[in-house]
Amino acid sequence: MKRSRILLLIVLLVVVPATLFLSTRLPGRSYYLMSAIVALEILIPFFAAYEKRRPQPRELVTVAVLSALAVIARVAIPLPNFKPTFAVIMLAGIAFGPETGFIVGAIGALGSDFFYGQGPFTPWQMMAYGVAGVLAGFAFARGRLPRKNWIMGLFCFLCTVIVVGPLLDTSTVFLTLSKITWSGALTLYLSGLWVNLTHGAACFVFLLLFGSVILEKLERVRNRYGMMESDENEDGV
Amino acid sequence: MKRAENDSFSRCHPAVGIVFFLGAILFGAMIMHPLYILASGICALVYYCLLNGVKGIKTVAVLLPLVIVIAAVNPLFNHEGEHVLFQIFGRPYTWEALIYGASLAGMLVTMLLWMGCYNAVMTSDKFITLFGKAIPTISLLLLMVLRLVPNLLRKIRQLAGARKCIGRGAGEKSTKRQQAVDGMNVLSALISWALEGGVVTADSMKARGYGTGERSRFQIFRMTARDIVLLVLLGTLAAAVIVAIARDGTTAEFAPVVTAAPIRGLHAAGFAAYCAFLILPVALHVKEAIQWHISRSRI
Amino acid sequence: MAHFEIKDLTFAYAAAKDRPALKDVTLSVGRGEYMVLCGRSGSGKTTLLRHLKPVLTPHGKRSGEILFNGISVKQLSERDQAAKIGYVMQNPDDQIVTDKVWHELAFGLESLGCDQKTMRARVAEMACYFGIQDWFHRDVVNLSGGQKQLLNLASIMAMQPEVLILDEPTSQLDPIAASDFLNTVRKINLELGTTIIITEHRLEDIFPHADRAVVMEGGCVIADDAPGRIGKLLYEQRSPMFTAMPAPVRIYYGAGGTGESPLTVREGRRWLSDVYPDGAKINALPEIQLPETDEEPALILKELWFRYEKDSPDIMRGVSMEVPKGSLFAIVGGNGAGKSTTLKAICGINRPYRGKVRVFGKPVEKYRSSELFSRCLSMLPQDPKSLFVKKTVREDLEEMNPDKEKVMETARLCQVEELLDSHPYDLSGGEQQRAALAKVLLTEPRLLLLDEPTKGIDSFFKESFAGILAELKARGITVIMVSHDVEFCARYADMVSMFFDGQILTTDTPQRFFGGNSFYTTAANRMSRHVFRHAVTAENVIELIRLNEGGGE
Repeated sequence: MKRSRILLLIVLLVVVPATLFLSTRLPGRSYYLMSAIVALEILIPFFAAYEKRRPQPRELVTVAVLSALAVIARVAIPLPNFKPTFAVIMLAGIAFGPETGFIVGAIGALGSDFFYGQGPFTPWQMMAYGVAGVLAGFAFARGRLPRKNWIMGLFCFLCTVIVVGPLLDTSTVFLTLSKITWSGALTLYLSGLWVNLTHGAACFVFLLLFGSVILEKLERVRNRYGMMESDENEDGV
Repeated sequence: MKRAENDSFSRCHPAVGIVFFLGAILFGAMIMHPLYILASGICALVYYCLLNGVKGIKTVAVLLPLVIVIAAVNPLFNHEGEHVLFQIFGRPYTWEALIYGASLAGMLVTMLLWMGCYNAVMTSDKFITLFGKAIPTISLLLLMVLRLVPNLLRKIRQLAGARKCIGRGAGEKSTKRQQAVDGMNVLSALISWALEGGVVTADSMKARGYGTGERSRFQIFRMTARDIVLLVLLGTLAAAVIVAIARDGTTAEFAPVVTAAPIRGLHAAGFAAYCAFLILPVALHVKEAIQWHISRSRI
Repeated sequence: MAHFEIKDLTFAYAAAKDRPALKDVTLSVGRGEYMVLCGRSGSGKTTLLRHLKPVLTPHGKRSGEILFNGISVKQLSERDQAAKIGYVMQNPDDQIVTDKVWHELAFGLESLGCDQKTMRARVAEMACYFGIQDWFHRDVVNLSGGQKQLLNLASIMAMQPEVLILDEPTSQLDPIAASDFLNTVRKINLELGTTIIITEHRLEDIFPHADRAVVMEGGCVIADDAPGRIGKLLYEQRSPMFTAMPAPVRIYYGAGGTGESPLTVREGRRWLSDVYPDGAKINALPEIQLPETDEEPALILKELWFRYEKDSPDIMRGVSMEVPKGSLFAIVGGNGAGKSTTLKAICGINRPYRGKVRVFGKPVEKYRSSELFSRCLSMLPQDPKSLFVKKTVREDLEEMNPDKEKVMETARLCQVEELLDSHPYDLSGGEQQRAALAKVLLTEPRLLLLDEPTKGIDSFFKESFAGILAELKARGITVIMVSHDVEFCARYADMVSMFFDGQILTTDTPQRFFGGNSFYTTAANRMSRHVFRHAVTAENVIELIRLNEGGGE
């Protein structure tokens, strides 16, 4: 097993439960922040793995570009909530694998919060966006799922509605409910459903229209930086 | 942003900033004692206004009524408490629930204000200074994203404008469907454009030796003697607060009756330390303003 | 020992093995030399430059060798080549990596792992040398194009390279920023002795400073000599590169001069003074008058006032003009004067808060959007890439008009038939320009607006572009062009307007407009104004010299 995976397991099985246990012992509304700290802990193994890999400039730039596009995706279309943000992140995951997908998502969320304001929800967002990249990366790795526009679109829609959206809503549960109760949480999840559906629909439409076109472009980049030799063909000539 | 440059605390080393904000926010979440919340709230409010000027005051003017509304609404759903003020909708409206609501709302708003201050003070270069060593690649990625986003925003406006000038883009009068499809078209073109630009950026990084060896980091912030003094001061005060928390000096119960730990003796010291900790940025700001005032009046 | 020694370099891209991009290039560059590499786009300039810096060298089949300080470049360590060979590219924006000026300055030093003290000293040094102190703490987003390119240069100079390679560094800059940049490059060469290898379209600004000019065509070096003598070689070879030479060179050889040519306006004036010590007999060409028409103008602007936001300053401050039907109308003026804003106001994208825009006699706000942009009005934006949204040029053109016949015809007109199946981003700057023009023309406009159409394209593309404009004019299309390119406007426009301080100040024929200006005018005019009146293009001056010779015999 890869060392990064081992680290991830340690975090998930030891560190996170420890934090949760600690939070029950602390006074006041520590769970506000403990939830953020848990999210942060989940980021660590992914970040560590990425740092260790020492990505080449070409890959680094591509990841930055995709993260920035994830930030921008919410501005591109002037309709409320109709934002294909997760589609961009998932495409990154599909093209470059789950680890890079996670990084694109996490950095996208962090970068976005530098423009729109950070808060205790920032680690949650980073994690949730990252998870979007990871899921897509795993699902489409080694031809597990065919990379067809409608399949990617549907997958992205389902992920958004079932996993990523609710994850984001969970941070709202922790940060806004005065008392965490099942009924209170359920109300929040239900009220978030419409937003998540719209997000998901935007992702579906976007991938249906442009999924393979963009994937092709990203794979071109991937195949290039994978080469041993210096990797440019473009010359402007 | 401009005001933060004139703020003495903002010019401190980022380590001072992060210690302060971590303290303010962690303590803020852990302590339910109404007096502590009030102290934190006042400090946050003053500092927020100092940082954001008139705009800050406007924001605060919106937030304060919010506290009152949340406080007043809470007893409608929460009926715990012995002191019934009056009956409404056949349910008791209790003093305890009112105080609990007020504390809760005060806490939320205080957090919001501290986060607002954090966003103004802890700019991206400070973030990089703090985390650049632990996560150099991720930090660089973040910087690249921060550069790209405004560029992409400009480009998106350019793309949309160019399309409008040949009668293709979606205008305000277009249907939602048109707006959506055109937005998607623009976004896909933007991706091509940005990936293309990325080729050049990567070349430029390689041309300047990225990846040839261990990177060092240019430190734009220098740790001065004053920063160290401030760090020690913040550390000591935080330790005092932690002692107070550990000795149950900050506890409060809201049901069946409001009982808060009395602020007396050792607990009073803890409370004083808490106030001193939180007032620090404001104190630095005011001190500097007075100094300038004096040196100007001497001329 | 030469600094760079290129021996029999032949190279073909992996994608085009049978068509080498470089053929038997042998060249040596001396230490501290300032060398200009010229040639049309596609002649292999960039490919050659990229071979001088191994990390940027493209893939493909290659033979021959390149020595740097006597050692093969391939044996240079990555750190050495990063530090010793500086490389500045075309696009000022994309070369920047980080978000702050100070960080960008330090980027190269960070990569080399410099210690804190050295970094501080070098960064401070560079900031002072390049005049960056004032914007040291700024975000790079807020810099102008010229400042960005200067930052790119400074960030490379901070690593103290021995050689500076610049690949068309000013093609995206306006003339003033461009000449500032080139002056800085010259200063580096003079004061630090750094070897300079540069490719550039703006030869007027470089030739006087350069030690050597090398001309490439089809991957071969076809001429290699001092700038003063290179024109003669090209003129004798009838090379198409001759048209890219600075005006004094073209006039000198065009008028039959021999020997070393003048390079600057100053030298050109001196030469003309020597030829005509008592003034020329025939000192002006007949004036071109535009035919008077009673026809309604294609466009009327009346007292337009516009600002972007309520509290921002006015960008347009009473813009008034009339554009006659069927003319090629040029608007010149400084950066940020409001020229592009005016074009957007004509399109109805910017709504002036006072004043009237009448397109073909009808107020622009009376048009429905679909009406205005179909068979009426269309605009080519400054960056042609802004118009491409599809995978191939063909798809992009068909987005405008599904009629295949029509698409083919327009593609033929714009000379992009062969490029129809390429990705728009794979085209060169000039080709993109023409493809974008084709897209715009598919709306069948009667009034065509062009925003800086000659930005970043070389003289050959400019000529073919002018040819297309002439064809459009012949079809009765009115063209309004906003441009910094004085030479292009002088040569091809029917009318020229000066935009300054939010207003149109003067409008006249290019002959009188540029003839009357003493500073804001063409090089040919500045060079010849003391002997000829209203000679604004090199062709005008040559014709006048010929006329005078004929008269003398």
